[in-house]
Amino acid sequence: MKHRIDSRWIAVAVLVTLLVLTPLYLKRSPYQMAVLTGAFFYAILASSWALLAGIAGQFSFAHMAFVGIGAYTAGLLGRDLGTTPLVGILAGTLMAGLVGLIIGLLCLRLKAAYLALFTIAFSEILRIVIVTEFEFTEGSNGLQLSKLWEGVTGTQEYYVTLALLLGSMALMYWLAGSRFGLFVRSMREDEEAASAMGVNVVRYKVMIFVITSLIVGLAGSVFYHQVGIITPNTMEILQMSMVIAMAVIGGMESLLGAAIGAFLSRFGLEMLREINILGFHLELGAWRYAAFGLLLIFTLRFAQNGLLYPIIDRLFKRRAREETVAKRVQETEVES
Amino acid sequence: MVPLWYFTPNLDRWYWAGGTGVLSAVELYGLFAITQPDNLCVTNAGYVANQASNGLIIGSIYALTAVGLTLIYSVQGIVSFAHGQSYMIGGYASYYFLQLFTDLNPIVGVPVAGLVTMLIGFAFERLFLRPMHLGRIERAGEYAILITFGFGFFLQYTALAIVGPFSQKTDTYLESGSLHLGPLNLIPNRLVAAAVGMVLIGILLYFINHTWTGKALRAVSMDKQAAAVTGINPLTMNTLAFGIGTMLAGMSGAALIPVFTWVPWVGMLASTRSYVIIVLGGLGSIPGALAGGLIIGLVEALGAGCYPDPSRGAAYKTAFGLILFALTLLLRPTGLFGRES
Amino acid sequence: MIELDIRDVYKSFGGIQALNGVSFSIRGNELIGLIGPNGAGKTTLTNVLDGVYKSTSGQVWFNGQRIDGLPPYEIARRGIGRTFQVTRAFRRMTVLENMLVPAMALHPTARQRDFHDKAMEVLEFLTIKHLAHDYARSLSGGQQKLLELGRLLMLDPDIIILDEPFAGVHPKLMETTYEYIKLVHEQGKAFIIISHDMDSIFTLSKRLLVLNFGELIADGDPKTVKEDPAVIEAYLGEEEEEEEGPAVIPAGRLVISEEEGSNA
Repeated sequence: MKHRIDSRWIAVAVLVTLLVLTPLYLKRSPYQMAVLTGAFFYAILASSWALLAGIAGQFSFAHMAFVGIGAYTAGLLGRDLGTTPLVGILAGTLMAGLVGLIIGLLCLRLKAAYLALFTIAFSEILRIVIVTEFEFTEGSNGLQLSKLWEGVTGTQEYYVTLALLLGSMALMYWLAGSRFGLFVRSMREDEEAASAMGVNVVRYKVMIFVITSLIVGLAGSVFYHQVGIITPNTMEILQMSMVIAMAVIGGMESLLGAAIGAFLSRFGLEMLREINILGFHLELGAWRYAAFGLLLIFTLRFAQNGLLYPIIDRLFKRRAREETVAKRVQETEVES
Repeated sequence: MVPLWYFTPNLDRWYWAGGTGVLSAVELYGLFAITQPDNLCVTNAGYVANQASNGLIIGSIYALTAVGLTLIYSVQGIVSFAHGQSYMIGGYASYYFLQLFTDLNPIVGVPVAGLVTMLIGFAFERLFLRPMHLGRIERAGEYAILITFGFGFFLQYTALAIVGPFSQKTDTYLESGSLHLGPLNLIPNRLVAAAVGMVLIGILLYFINHTWTGKALRAVSMDKQAAAVTGINPLTMNTLAFGIGTMLAGMSGAALIPVFTWVPWVGMLASTRSYVIIVLGGLGSIPGALAGGLIIGLVEALGAGCYPDPSRGAAYKTAFGLILFALTLLLRPTGLFGRES
Repeated sequence: MIELDIRDVYKSFGGIQALNGVSFSIRGNELIGLIGPNGAGKTTLTNVLDGVYKSTSGQVWFNGQRIDGLPPYEIARRGIGRTFQVTRAFRRMTVLENMLVPAMALHPTARQRDFHDKAMEVLEFLTIKHLAHDYARSLSGGQQKLLELGRLLMLDPDIIILDEPFAGVHPKLMETTYEYIKLVHEQGKAFIIISHDMDSIFTLSKRLLVLNFGELIADGDPKTVKEDPAVIEAYLGEEEEEEEGPAVIPAGRLVISEEEGSNA
């Protein structure tokens, strides 16, 4: 069967090529490269949250908790058992997935706001325990993690994170387009009706939690090896807010929208630390975040599908609406 | 393989839930007494009484904050995720006011903070929540969660930007040290704060039950359309409820700033605690919020005071309430006095 | 042959006894009307059959297996499908996607394109094929009801429970619904139709079940049931009550005092 080559594959290919080539231009500014790497990380977090909350309708505030679980597991194993980062990452991912499974099971009966509240409670409890048991976890000082491997460069870290981003996006897109996506969307719309139509709501609700927690557990354990240290602050509700804000501003129901939104937000916020215009030097500090919050509110009010939605809609969805199952079937008939 | 509990029913009646709660508390205490015979909480009744009373005192302020949140829920049907920030802003409003008028007792800051937060609440509701009630917003449920959340985010960082990451404190209400009442060792400062809380809750209850506006609020909370038919404007009542809710949060903040040191993220904890209380008490129930506030105050005080390792106990203070919260959500989401949805 | 046995089913909510020892059986492709005054328990019975509620006591047997206590998706898989009183289409999904959900749920290894043709056929029969790629939320109420009927067919159930299929549907769509019921019935499916539309019920069904206050007070062919004194009293009695009784006050949400029904 022939693959149709259309504008969206081209756009994606262009984007990916750009991102792959960027380090060549940034060889002289490791700082900017690190910022971009961080932006990729947030893109993973935001797009996976978009899958969980925007597409599957589960408003979980425990997302960052899974990041922390991944990173802390890797860090603790590395410190106490001397495991290599690879083993730590594997363990961290699995641990996040396991806890995701438990949370998913516990959340089976919780609806909307209750789910949000429960996951907030879980995140907070976890954070408090980590802070308090500082003899074990180093508490607020943070737990150190070794570098990914001896002599890893910023450029290599960049590519690792980019690969993670591309990999997870591919996985999530595949899922969203498959029966899995069909089912979780029906559950978002009306869980009871979906159940009455034969959708195993228990299995899929748990699955979506497990999958997204595996993804962010992996991302977290890898990223914090790069950063070198993980603190309980990562699991603060404020951090979670940031991810949610990015996803919403980019477009909560679109994986690409959320990812790009997070990438641009993160990059923008970092670059706006201080402004130097015409001799004026301004330290923006917390004001950038306040402005970001304002942007969030106005986006929700006037562009509920996200700021990037119009662009994505024009470039991608239009095509999709035409390229319906019907057309695909027609093509296979023509070809055979 | 479906987990068994998915299909088990919730604890049905409030006395079963309350009874189970009390029974488990007693069992827990029994277990605790057996395994920790040297703990102060087991040997010294006076200590327990002291902890408990301090817990109740603080709990009454927690209740004030929570009552505002539950009021918003009962009239609007949404949980405001910006509530803790209103609390925080109330504290700062009082602080800055007192900086201007330095000889006043902090208690004057309370109504000032109330006014400020109420206006903020009105503005936000009018601009961002009313369109939702008018049906102009798609996916209203999601929107409600996210927009209040965003508002909290905005308020948090704005406060951080203005105030900076420093702590502030106002003068205390009263100068004196501690008050001795038998075995109890009470701090008058806190007593004043608690009194403020109780008075305000009392005023609110009177308002709700005996004024026309209050009854209109209740009507809207019961049945929006029926209320509209009798000439009450649900939209106005929504705005009013939100404003009053944020006002109560602000006033509770102002009531506590003479007691606790204030930092910009003090609202995060207050937020979480308020959720715990309103779920425990039952979403939309004011007596529930009151009971919940006192219970949480107790749980925190006794948890912190009785935990074998005192420093850990203090650090885990909030966690005790959160665990109770998680259990409530799983076993009886309607809380003590909530309505079965 | 289709076999459904409901044995002594009770269902209570707090203090309210919604179903009071209901028992009946279905054999083969019967076309049954389920009627009764408001609040008699018709939708509750459907919810128990469908697995949305767990009965307080009693058993439900379907095709030789006990199904009470199973979750709705299990029961749907085994062959009992239902519609809802207020249509519950998947609003932010297209009509076609709505149709594909049950098909995919029932066939774990199939792909979406496998059911495309069947879905379109069904939509065409229901006269809404032209809406296949529109979002369900943009359909009119009547069209959404038809969508629910189509969705059910994709589930290929043995027993179809329709909850108020004629309510608020305009005559043209009503015809389509009639045709649907007749056609599907001929294909060997059993129907339980809940309706207040007496004309339709008496025309369509060969057997009537009458519920009142959670009890099955009549079970037989339409003519006999129509003349059953208990049935007449149930309906007439309700009319009298409506004139005399006080208006029902909904339970308060803003609970201020104990007296105001703070009981959950």
